[in-house]
Amino acid sequence: MANSDKLIQFRHRYFSGRLVGEVLSKSWIDSAIPFAALIVVLVTMAVLVPGMVNIAYMADLSRQLAEFGLVALALTIVIMSGGIDLSVGSTFALCVLASLVGMNVLGLPVAVSLALALGAGLLCGLLNGVLIGYLRLRAFITTLVTLVIYRALYDIIFPRLASAIVGNTPDSPAWDYLGFGAFYGLPVSFIAFVVIAVAIHITLSRLRPGWRLRAVGGARKSAYNAGIDVKRTVCLAYVTSGLLTGTAAFLFSARLGSTGADTGIGMEIAVLTAVVLGGVSLGGGRGSVGNAIVGAVLVLILTNGLIRMSTPGSVNQLVLGLILILAVLFDAKWVKNRAKILSKVYVSPTYLALPSRAERHQAQFAPNDRLGESELIGLGAVEGPEDVVLDAADHLYTGTRHGTIVRFFAPDYTRSEVFARIGGHPLGLAFARNGDLLACVGGMGVYRVDPQGTVSRVTDETNRSWLSVIDDSRLRLPDDLDIARDGRIFFSEATIRYELSDWVTDALEGRGNGRLICHDPRTGQTRTVLRGLIFPNGVTMCRDGQSLLFAETWACRISRYWFDGPNKGQREIFIDNLQGYPDNINRGSNGTYWVALLGLRTATFDLAMRKPAFRRRMAKRIASDEWLFPNVNRGCVVRLSETGEVLDVLWDLAGRNHPSVTSTCEHKGYLYLGGVSNNRIGRVKLCDADSAWTSSQEYWGQV
Amino acid sequence: MSIWNALASLFSRSDDDSLSIPPLDGPLKPNNRLDEAERIVDLPSADNLVAVENGFLCSGGDTLYRIDPNGGCVIPIRRFEHPITALAASPAGIIAVGIEREGVLVDAGGAWTPHDLGNANGCITSLGFRGETELLVTIGSHRHPWSDWKRDLMSHGKTGAVLSLDLAASTAPRVLSNGLAFPYGLALSPNGEILVAESWKHRLVAIAAASGARLEARLEELPAYPARLAPAASGGYWLACFAPRRQLTEMILREDDYRAEMMATIPPSSWIGPDFADHLNDDQPLQSGSVRQMGILKPWAPSRSYGLVLRLNAALHAVASYHSRADGAIHGVTSIAERGSFVYAAARGTGAVLRFPVENRS
Repeated sequence: MANSDKLIQFRHRYFSGRLVGEVLSKSWIDSAIPFAALIVVLVTMAVLVPGMVNIAYMADLSRQLAEFGLVALALTIVIMSGGIDLSVGSTFALCVLASLVGMNVLGLPVAVSLALALGAGLLCGLLNGVLIGYLRLRAFITTLVTLVIYRALYDIIFPRLASAIVGNTPDSPAWDYLGFGAFYGLPVSFIAFVVIAVAIHITLSRLRPGWRLRAVGGARKSAYNAGIDVKRTVCLAYVTSGLLTGTAAFLFSARLGSTGADTGIGMEIAVLTAVVLGGVSLGGGRGSVGNAIVGAVLVLILTNGLIRMSTPGSVNQLVLGLILILAVLFDAKWVKNRAKILSKVYVSPTYLALPSRAERHQAQFAPNDRLGESELIGLGAVEGPEDVVLDAADHLYTGTRHGTIVRFFAPDYTRSEVFARIGGHPLGLAFARNGDLLACVGGMGVYRVDPQGTVSRVTDETNRSWLSVIDDSRLRLPDDLDIARDGRIFFSEATIRYELSDWVTDALEGRGNGRLICHDPRTGQTRTVLRGLIFPNGVTMCRDGQSLLFAETWACRISRYWFDGPNKGQREIFIDNLQGYPDNINRGSNGTYWVALLGLRTATFDLAMRKPAFRRRMAKRIASDEWLFPNVNRGCVVRLSETGEVLDVLWDLAGRNHPSVTSTCEHKGYLYLGGVSNNRIGRVKLCDADSAWTSSQEYWGQV
Repeated sequence: MSIWNALASLFSRSDDDSLSIPPLDGPLKPNNRLDEAERIVDLPSADNLVAVENGFLCSGGDTLYRIDPNGGCVIPIRRFEHPITALAASPAGIIAVGIEREGVLVDAGGAWTPHDLGNANGCITSLGFRGETELLVTIGSHRHPWSDWKRDLMSHGKTGAVLSLDLAASTAPRVLSNGLAFPYGLALSPNGEILVAESWKHRLVAIAAASGARLEARLEELPAYPARLAPAASGGYWLACFAPRRQLTEMILREDDYRAEMMATIPPSSWIGPDFADHLNDDQPLQSGSVRQMGILKPWAPSRSYGLVLRLNAALHAVASYHSRADGAIHGVTSIAERGSFVYAAARGTGAVLRFPVENRS
């Protein structure tokens, strides 16, 4: 291997850029950027304004955050529902007035004053909600108008009561405790805020009202079609907003004990800046409590910092406005381009050098056309028969891309019925000892079908690996399975990075994205056995009962793995440097194994596998239909001996009937062929096979 | 590092547009008219078809054949030592052939007179008479012989030329234009210009009648590699296109590292790139759109070969097209001849001569 190749190999093993795409594909990336901005601002402020970041400041900040953060949450909920609430500042002022009237003027108990404040907030929110939700007025205009109306009400009422508010001081320890008290050093109002924030977070992310809110904000029409009461959801968002603003106002009143003519003025801009800066998308549907809090802290630190640096208030407003513009710009670009960026950086090919195809094999792989003359079964009646198996009564079972398992009846296989409906494309199939049919289902997991056709789930997840960025606990592409004598199910998952429909893209990557997984029915546990396999595909039990064979498709090799016995845990190459890409492996008569070749290696593709940067550019720059691909338009099946010697090769040279054979099944002297992108099953008479041999018999004895 | 590359590519305008292929629309909208055409003769690697007084001459491998226009009858006239790469006949019946590695041979009534073109002998791509004594010759490449045309394409060959050979005098050929990217066909326009199909640049250029005038592009951005040109009886021209352009090929032509290693280590039959036909070669590259799905090769599949004949009007605008798509059988058409009410085409990839009725659309 040349030195430059070693360099390429090294670079693509350790700096492949795969993580960039995987991180970008996570949903928390929306929140990660504002969070990073927060850290940057915090550090900058600590450096610019010495002595700003200390315990006293933190306590003060947490009190401010309690009030400001609640209003930010209020606006977040409204924006997530697809609207906007500009009247939060005026509502806030009215609620402050209501609570102070309760406490100072009327001398009511704290609880009643709280009810007054919440009632004021509720009324303000309800007016918005009815106008926008039920009467379908534009949110922007409506709340702009209510902003003016509520402010006018405040301006009318406040001067008449101003002296009464200032003149009286309520004698209420609870009121003072709320305003100034601390619990284990934490301000009480902050604790109240945390409790409310957690409750809202759970509601938004885990409960039905939250999902509905997101659905309405994300796609109003779809939400309506899905049966969600859009009008009520929107209305309730404004009502919630009013209630949260009322709560914030109550805390504010407790802290200050009075109010002024300018209470709440300009608040909507500050809160809007906070929310958008925090990463809540103005388009609706995207956002979280965390976003709102991060944004609120950011804005508070910024404004406090600016005040400490003694900048005039108008400059503060100017800075906030500029930040808002930038945040809105970023939000618009981010939402629009995130998927585009992701599609450009997600595909991450790696270096994969296959040995040059051996002369020895080329002689053994001499072409013939024995598959070209196969008898066809179910032509046009099945689509995507990835695997075929036969039962004791010689009926044939296969999966289709319509999500069913179809049964063809012996002896002539002209009649068929839908045996079971699964919902995903069944790939590998195998019969268990008790006659149940086990199936790997693309995108779903491993499923069991009993002889009556009842479907039940065996497993759809495995243990999450700690260092994987993408969630690898869910099964994405279980491919083939086989069953050990003790009932353990070993199955391959071809790739954890792509769905079934994108498996071609995994060919372009050529990385060990797949794994071998074991499900133990005795404990009900599923555990990953081997990781980092290059598109593991076929799995079959060896006859020693302690090991299995698995094919790694893009690596053109078959390995043997011992899961039991003295060699437990060992792995060795069974046969490598194949002429083509091995798919399913199945047992044959006389102690042999059948390997279906998905396609043939080509010199140009082998070369491309050694040039990851070239493949990356190809994935980026040209349409996926134009990508270079191995030659999968030929059919080829190989028979291997117990020790991995090539015994026999059967070809469909022109690929008319069986291009890309994905599985084989020998049964009573015939070989049955399946193909995942084919619309037929084939069978070929084997002249040299044991005409009584069946796979079920060899596995489980007389069934 | 890839992160920086990724960031850089996010903020820079990529040159994706330059990899795009002109779409087949308007008059180029795909059809199956070549597959529906009458296949009059099967002739392995039928290449250059020329109308003569009592039928057609056609080259196929190293043999020159005479073909009966009504089909069925193929008579070998003469076999040469090396493959015939071009053929022409004068109005009076003089026949000229280009032979790889030998040069031009001219037959004026029984005797074949050789004309040596020196290092241009290897890649004579087409011939055309201007009068009875002047023979126009397109040389695809001075660097690679005809049989190695893929190497010329992949090495961005532009060593082609158009020569004028005076058959009466034994003077050296006159160079009318050189530095061309594989000129593959020529035709004379009514005003005395020579139209040349410059294949690797997917365009038609005109060489002015006055010597020393500059080359002028007349028809650019063809969706396929043009081969030979033939005049149409009702004005305008027929243009045979021998292989399709594909995004992957365009990309390979820019990927110097990959291309260099491909050319150095892989036999040309297995290269990525255009071809006359999709041979049954297991080592042949495939593009993912060409994977058989449910037993069907999609007609739009990005195949290596294609069948395309264009009808150009006198202003060199395409007015009609004849296709055989990815799933069709008539691929790699290299020459056209019009005779009577039929158009005859030689499909080198398929090894057949076919005919279809003339439509007057100029």
